[in-house]
Amino acid sequence: MGRYAIRRLLQLVPVVLGTTFIINFMVWQLPGDPFAGRCGQRPCPDAYITAMREQFGLDQPLLVQYWNFLKNLLTGNLGTDFNGVSVAGQLGDAWPITIRLALMAVAFEAIIGIGAGVLSGLKRGGFIDNVVTLSTLFLLSMPIFVTGYLLQWLLGVRLGIITPTVPDEATVPQLIVPALVLASLNMAFTARLTRTSIVENLRSDYVRTAVAKGLTNRRVVGIHLLRNSLIPVLTFLGTEVGSLMSGAIITEGIFNIHGIGGLLWRAINGQDYTIVVPVATLLVLVYLVSNLLVDLLYGVLDPRIRYE
Amino acid sequence: MTEVLSEQTGRGAHSGALLEVDNLHVEFRTRAGVAKAVNGVTYSVDAGETLAVLGESGSGKSVTAQTIMGILDMPPGKITGGEIRFRGVDLLKLPEDQRRKIRGESVSMIFQDALSSLNPVFPVGWQIAEMFRMHRGSSRSDAKKKAVELMDRVRIPAAKDRVNDFPHQFSGGMRQRIMIAMAIALDPEILIADEPTTALDVTVQAQIMGLLAELQRDSNMGLILITHDLGVVADVADKIAVMYGGRIVENAPVHDLYKTPAHPYSKGLLESIPRVDQKGQELYAIKGLPPNLLEMPPGCAFHPRCPYRRDNCVTEVPPLYTISGTRGSACHYWREVIDEGER
Repeated sequence: MGRYAIRRLLQLVPVVLGTTFIINFMVWQLPGDPFAGRCGQRPCPDAYITAMREQFGLDQPLLVQYWNFLKNLLTGNLGTDFNGVSVAGQLGDAWPITIRLALMAVAFEAIIGIGAGVLSGLKRGGFIDNVVTLSTLFLLSMPIFVTGYLLQWLLGVRLGIITPTVPDEATVPQLIVPALVLASLNMAFTARLTRTSIVENLRSDYVRTAVAKGLTNRRVVGIHLLRNSLIPVLTFLGTEVGSLMSGAIITEGIFNIHGIGGLLWRAINGQDYTIVVPVATLLVLVYLVSNLLVDLLYGVLDPRIRYE
Repeated sequence: MTEVLSEQTGRGAHSGALLEVDNLHVEFRTRAGVAKAVNGVTYSVDAGETLAVLGESGSGKSVTAQTIMGILDMPPGKITGGEIRFRGVDLLKLPEDQRRKIRGESVSMIFQDALSSLNPVFPVGWQIAEMFRMHRGSSRSDAKKKAVELMDRVRIPAAKDRVNDFPHQFSGGMRQRIMIAMAIALDPEILIADEPTTALDVTVQAQIMGLLAELQRDSNMGLILITHDLGVVADVADKIAVMYGGRIVENAPVHDLYKTPAHPYSKGLLESIPRVDQKGQELYAIKGLPPNLLEMPPGCAFHPRCPYRRDNCVTEVPPLYTISGTRGSACHYWREVIDEGER
């Protein structure tokens, strides 16, 4: 297990190098000059553009730029953006908010999704099962920006239960509705996955054995059935942490949350690669690390998995 | 468990056998129709006695056993008639929480495929210990100690080192031993073994049968051994019930049945065992297919395959004729079958 973990960690190195290179290359490929439009109504003077290009190293060849990026990344020096504001500072302000939002979304996915899935799987064809099947179908067919704007309008504008946009401090209660929106798709999928898994395992021989042992129904379901049924569900939840981060870009945009998503959104529009590249890199790292953790967790959840 | 029952009957107050299945009817409601899996099965087993229930797939032998245990899937299964009396109390009329206490404690069961029947994500010792923790309220450490003792008792080598291993880390025979350890943990009065050796190779089969026989002798359990393999039962069983199409077609003390089968189906089963003295000859096989439970043949269910068939076999369902005090055969022409067997 230890050796497996180390090998997997080493495998991350080429992946990180590859993805960050592609990110740098694509940003470099973006059409237009990032500095040309920075002087209001008038075109920027050539001297300004040249100076800025020099300052941010845009006059260097791509490979040199990439080398400098790696050097800065390893030394933790992210520099400033085009406006001279510290990139690390902006990340530091935005990151905790996104983390909070994502964790809340994962919690909703796990608690509501698994709960609904278990209830509907245990009583297949019953009332709850039908309600869950219908509502998950509804959620799955709605893009999250539709769900987001709909809830914002309904709860925020019409009913006034929440503020339509999230204030700067973004506390946990303020983030409940955005987190539900962010979680909606995965929550529906989690419920369906749990249901399928429960239905499948309900018929298995070891559940029959557990009943034959004279265990209470609660123990048969809560220990024997659930422990096995949740293996694929937890794996799904783990691998989807990465996709939650990209979902956060839309959700944060709708509710005006000053997290990573909002930061990235503004930076892309302003062609400010000093923000785009580190944020994209961060998202890649989150994705890779969460996948690694899931793979390691899988061996703990299912003892039949062997890491050689 | 005995307390639960003695409240109602007074221990030992009843006169019959320890476990009696009486005229049991079970059917499955499927989309294709109603499958009559068990049609009036009656058998009994007493303490220290081994009953072998013999029959091919779909004969209703496992369904009967699952009904005794109360682990039949309902729906689609439905018990449409009969009684299952344990110590004289009809289990089918007991509320679920009392039936649950009987399972594992007084009546327990082992299954055919030990790998899928054990929970893959829990250590075997934990699964055995669960019996003590849940039924007896033992502490984790006490229960684990008892689990090791049980693993020793079913002769798993180095039990102490293997108690934390998972089912997939054991061989097939060892896994079945673990199932057995789990089933006998609480000294049940009845043990039902549903094809316990079918998934194992021949040498291991013999070991497992030997182990079951030994455990039964030591603790005076009643053993119901469900199998389709006549070769397995000869040494261990006291009496045999042969099932076909959800009915018992012959019951007999084991030696009588081997010597002079009284039903064409049992006779066919015996003749299809390979024998050393028939080397070189073609092996006998019962012609035709088992009956479709959705559309049972009229009359005797075996008549389409029966070499003794007469006209009335197609119309008259044979009752279980009494041959002697302990023998019965559901064949109109049992005398003929026996006579031919003696020739």
